[in-house]
Amino acid sequence: MNQEELNNKLAEIKDKLIAIEQPVDNKIWFTCEAENSYEINKFLFEEVPLRFVIATGIDSDDCFEVLYHYAYDETGCMVTLKAFIRDREKPEIESIAPFLPGAEWIEREIHDILGIDFRNHPDMRRLILSDDWPEGVYPLRKDAKKPVSWPDGEPSSRPTVDSPSRRTVPLSKPVLVVGPFHPLQEEMEFFQLTIDGEIVTDIDMRISYNHRGIEKISESLQFDQVPFLVSRICGICSASHPLAYVQAVEELAGIKPPERALYVRTIINELERIHSHVLWAGLAGHFIGYDTVFMWAWKYREPVLDLLEEITGNRNNYGNVKVGGCREDIPNELKPKILKDMDEIEKKMDMLIKAVTDDPILHARLKGVGVLSKEDAIKYAVTGPTARASGIAIDVRQDDPYAVYADLDWNVISQPEGDVFAKVVVRLLEVIEAIKIIRQAVKKIPEGPIAVEVKEIPAGEAVGCVEAPRGETFHYVRSDGGNRPVRHKVRAPSFVNVPSFKASCIGQHIADVTITLAAVDPCYSCTERLAVVDQYSNIIHDYDTLLRLSRERTAQIKKELGAPGLKMEDLQIG
Amino acid sequence: MTEALQSLFWIIVFPGFLFTVAFGLFASWIVRKVSALVQWRVGPPLFQPFYDVVKLMGKEILVPQEAQQAVFMAAPLVGMAGVLLLSTMLWRITIAQTAFVGDIIVAIYLMVLPSLALILGSSASASPHASVGTSREMKLVMSYELPLVLAFIVVIIKTGGQLNLAAIAQQVPALSISGMLAFLVALLCVQAKLGFVPFDIAEAETEVASGVLIEYSGALLAVWKLMQAMMLVALPLFLVMVFLGGFGASLWTGLGKYVLILVLVILIKNTNPRMRIDQAMKFFWFYCGLALAIAVTLAIIGNYCGINWL
Repeated sequence: MNQEELNNKLAEIKDKLIAIEQPVDNKIWFTCEAENSYEINKFLFEEVPLRFVIATGIDSDDCFEVLYHYAYDETGCMVTLKAFIRDREKPEIESIAPFLPGAEWIEREIHDILGIDFRNHPDMRRLILSDDWPEGVYPLRKDAKKPVSWPDGEPSSRPTVDSPSRRTVPLSKPVLVVGPFHPLQEEMEFFQLTIDGEIVTDIDMRISYNHRGIEKISESLQFDQVPFLVSRICGICSASHPLAYVQAVEELAGIKPPERALYVRTIINELERIHSHVLWAGLAGHFIGYDTVFMWAWKYREPVLDLLEEITGNRNNYGNVKVGGCREDIPNELKPKILKDMDEIEKKMDMLIKAVTDDPILHARLKGVGVLSKEDAIKYAVTGPTARASGIAIDVRQDDPYAVYADLDWNVISQPEGDVFAKVVVRLLEVIEAIKIIRQAVKKIPEGPIAVEVKEIPAGEAVGCVEAPRGETFHYVRSDGGNRPVRHKVRAPSFVNVPSFKASCIGQHIADVTITLAAVDPCYSCTERLAVVDQYSNIIHDYDTLLRLSRERTAQIKKELGAPGLKMEDLQIG
Repeated sequence: MTEALQSLFWIIVFPGFLFTVAFGLFASWIVRKVSALVQWRVGPPLFQPFYDVVKLMGKEILVPQEAQQAVFMAAPLVGMAGVLLLSTMLWRITIAQTAFVGDIIVAIYLMVLPSLALILGSSASASPHASVGTSREMKLVMSYELPLVLAFIVVIIKTGGQLNLAAIAQQVPALSISGMLAFLVALLCVQAKLGFVPFDIAEAETEVASGVLIEYSGALLAVWKLMQAMMLVALPLFLVMVFLGGFGASLWTGLGKYVLILVLVILIKNTNPRMRIDQAMKFFWFYCGLALAIAVTLAIIGNYCGINWL
């Protein structure tokens, strides 16, 4: 289907909608009432069919909104369905998870943070709020009190395996617990594997051990401060998140960054892809006990980090994009060094690719393991290398090109098998493509300024997508014309890739499950961004509380010293 | 009386406990250092394995509530006793030629003790991770024991029915086709006995978080570590005696052979990913079993027709 046919197809559902807007050719906005949302969603996902991206819950003053974002990858078109829930007292909407498992987590998240009930949801346990968070307090509602006070009495003890948000498994079945801390993963997460001998028969997971409340904090920052915040969502995708946000804001305000800035963005994002993929290849080696690959891959990755440091000043958290362009330019003297380093890395990657594809034990360990079929990949709405290894050749860089990807010559890598081996091959070959892109970009980069001046961000809403190393990073920004976003939704690729474990792990050996869990390159710091709770001490760490605590402590010390009027001058001797 | 004291000295000081532990810790330093160099790391200082054990000795011993306490505590000691005896016996044969008929069979039995102790200890620890590790260790033992014994049978045939290690060590069975095959298989079995990649399946830290050893801590864990270090002395030494003609005339050629085997073990360890347990079983039973069936046939034919190189 081309864009026109898509428009015609979408028009079939017209009479259920309140309005259709199409500000630009490949962005379509639908609005509807909550009652019709189920039917329209089913139409969009099953009949058109579109790829589900994410949903956003918003508390607008007189009602709640749930935005369902879909993508049509052939034309790079974004379709957003906005459903209004008018009843503020008892907000309810029909769940779409029964036919769209990929929406299960986001509906749980929206329920956690906004208190919207999803009727007929298969599993309405908490996802991101900690187990001892009080009932009926929804942190992303505009009227949420700060700091949240706990209900009377002792807060519940810290979460245990039996706490309500964890599924209780019948005691007759042996359960292998992976996490919250486990040598397999470098971040906190909790997998509960029900096992029968060596075979895994069921898997349940719990995330949310590391919330930082990024979306909430973002609402309190100015538009130009947000990139620094979102680059800290994840140390590895610290170029992708800010870029996606910046692109959303630029679309909202109609800003065109200068050509040179687009090239700089492209180069930095591809460097990021190389270092992320090589890092993953090393970790994958470690997970299957191949520590030599682990160490070698990480050594090969070092020159990339050095380059990034030379350009932006940081090995991670580059903070280089801003609305309207870039902060740091790539100096022309650095070009030969970049090209030279690319040659070096390409040589080493060729060696690594050959070693991996020729090793019979690696074949035995990775082929046919953790298969995610194409159907499941669509149902769970996975993105990035996880989707491409299941034969779905989607790539934002190709489908809805940003920066300068459209002007460069490169290929989307995809493999049909869907197993772990395919994921390895996709990632390694993508490194080679990234090297190709960087070479062309370095040679073609034009002279000129790297930023334009930005004055005002008008009211409106927009989405921005970037192909991060792990898949599509999606940012939605709404502005009311002030200097801060009123809602900023972040969907990192892991948020949709991680739940696909349900489809790929059951029936596998324990030994295979660990590498399958790792094969989507899960990033928990990306997946968990919302509440701000220390679940062990039950303290809410928001800024006001900390400030108050700090002041109280100062006052107390003063009192203890018995010197209420103690001044700096008094302390000086002589 | 003096004889008993003499034996006690052999077991406790030289060539028993103290000597084997010192040698074993040094060998495990070599393993760590060479692995590090292969992986472009710096690696630990010479005394690091020693410091590790000393530090563990000073740590608290935690015993899980539901564990079978006596078995849980005794298992590491049993395992270490087995390796200690094996090492003392092998060194005594090497140095003083105090061999006896059938000592190769005693050695084979003693070599199983550490694995048995590991199985006992981990199944007594009442942890799901350990139980997965236990079942893996059991399957692994069952997989490699048969090929290992078959490999020794090849040697016994090659040496004309000798069951005496000192006599076996007079010859070099590895200098023939069947002997070489048997040696390679036995090397892989030793790799599995040592619990090194690709056969570190029972400990697999990224899957079952060091499985069999997960509940052990403090001094008990230190005993396991010492046992593993001592195995690093005894098992390669055993291979040297059985396949490579023992220490022979000079100490240095003997040590050279020992280092050769150690280097082979390290190289295998660093150039392979971990196998899955079903793959390991298949590997030992089918591939190694087949290789040894051929080796045994060749050895019998060679023996019968007087062709030494078969």
